[in-house]
Amino acid sequence: MFEYFEFNIAPWGWEITVYFFLIGTAAMTYVYAAAPAVFGDVFGGIARSMEPFQKTGMLAALVLLLISGPLLIVDLGVPERFLYPILHFHWTSPLSWGALFLPLFGLCIVGFLAALWFNRPQLLKPIGILGMLLSLSMPLYTGLDLMVHQTRELWSNPTIPVLFVILSVSSGTALVSVIHLARGQFDARTFEFLHWFLYVALGTTLALFLGELVTLLYGSAELQQAWTLINERFWVQFWVMTFGLGILTPFLLMIVTHYWKSARVLTLAAVLAAVGAFFFRSVLIYAGQLTQIYY
Amino acid sequence: MPVGLQAQPSLGVPGKKRWAMVIDLRRCIGCMACVCADKAEYDVPLGVWRTIVKVKDTGSYPNTKRHFMPRLCNHCDNPPCVRNCPTEATYKHEEGFVLQRYERCIACRTCIAACPYNARHVLPKNRDRVKIGGVIDKCTFCHHRVAADLVPACVQTCLGRSRIFGDLNDPNSEVARLVARHSVVTLKPEKGTAPQVYYIKPDRVHTEQVLSRPVSHAARADAEAFYRHNRGTQFFSGVL
Repeated sequence: MFEYFEFNIAPWGWEITVYFFLIGTAAMTYVYAAAPAVFGDVFGGIARSMEPFQKTGMLAALVLLLISGPLLIVDLGVPERFLYPILHFHWTSPLSWGALFLPLFGLCIVGFLAALWFNRPQLLKPIGILGMLLSLSMPLYTGLDLMVHQTRELWSNPTIPVLFVILSVSSGTALVSVIHLARGQFDARTFEFLHWFLYVALGTTLALFLGELVTLLYGSAELQQAWTLINERFWVQFWVMTFGLGILTPFLLMIVTHYWKSARVLTLAAVLAAVGAFFFRSVLIYAGQLTQIYY
Repeated sequence: MPVGLQAQPSLGVPGKKRWAMVIDLRRCIGCMACVCADKAEYDVPLGVWRTIVKVKDTGSYPNTKRHFMPRLCNHCDNPPCVRNCPTEATYKHEEGFVLQRYERCIACRTCIAACPYNARHVLPKNRDRVKIGGVIDKCTFCHHRVAADLVPACVQTCLGRSRIFGDLNDPNSEVARLVARHSVVTLKPEKGTAPQVYYIKPDRVHTEQVLSRPVSHAARADAEAFYRHNRGTQFFSGVL
């Protein structure tokens, strides 16, 4: 009866998974909305297809930030101390950097919206560039947050931050596609722009998924334990929701859209990719916490 | 050289102390007195532990064995919990202790995730007598007792003298002699944490992850309950 009683509880629950997902989505939505101002005529001016979306995209990013910020605060055991990571900044903790960049990212969104509102086009590009760098830092810091745990082998993997950035591209593309479809703003150039981003995101996600798989299969005892754990506890999330629904099905739909340019099918593919992105993160977060409790 | 700590490791540094613990598993009888002493010393709430004794039964009748494995914070020389803490609430003391500033802790629980020894826990918010709650806590090697020239509570109470505490930098101390003369083992040395709790004669079922899966029916049932409780479906993950 004493063999198992002593383990303290695993630290992170659904709030962190949802937060990682929402902040990644907000980051990529910002990139899409700021793309016309930042890239302008580069790449044949394809980023200009996002011009009608600028204000809506920024508002969507702001709404997501206003949901995810408080979610992160409420997850703390002592929420009233949420400013401490900035006040007592610790440079080796990605969480400190995240706490610093998160409000700055919010300021960039507000600044961009203000520049649009007061018709100051000369400010759009600098704010857009700064905000894009900060938006990149959002999924990057969440990935680094896991990666720095060198004692948890499922997380201590340099592909995790890259994976989180790519997953945020998927979820951001899904949100942008849904908004475009709802507003009837899909034209050929928008379709091409979103299609390209989703293709790259899905391809990279598949590569990283396979990489993760090989790492688990050929890894240490702890990684083999993670493999067992994933297949015992999280097989639905991992195989069905992440691989089947979140990677394979969107890929098949992308092949369909290659021949039949349907905005609805593209949006469906993007939404499924976003579902996969959510579950991929959640499996990694939960399984990474549970591998060590046998020990 | 570790980065992000508030004090550099003092192990082997002349003129400095490096407190460490040796646990002689040949002498542990699994009485759990150390667990009780800790609970009494710090009013540790129900459901969490500063120190534990893992028990594992191996073999099948009539060839069976029961193994005991006292576990606590390893007060690492390269503690990942300290490097990951976003507020420096957990810090490295110059004499080797890894300690906690309760007034700074935001209970983000990243230190729990960082610790490979499962040595940290969250204190409940509403406690009867001790008012420290809602923050992370852990074994402190009884820093307040050591500062008063006493040994930690678990060492004081260990009736088999399985736990031995002392200054590793003092060549005449009992811990230094034991570490020098026995083939001591630390837990998960491959994680690069440089733990400072040394075990004499541990069994592989306790030191190797691949052999450490729970085998008894009761343990598997406990594991199932733990998983059910840890599926991320409860607010605050059920910790508060």
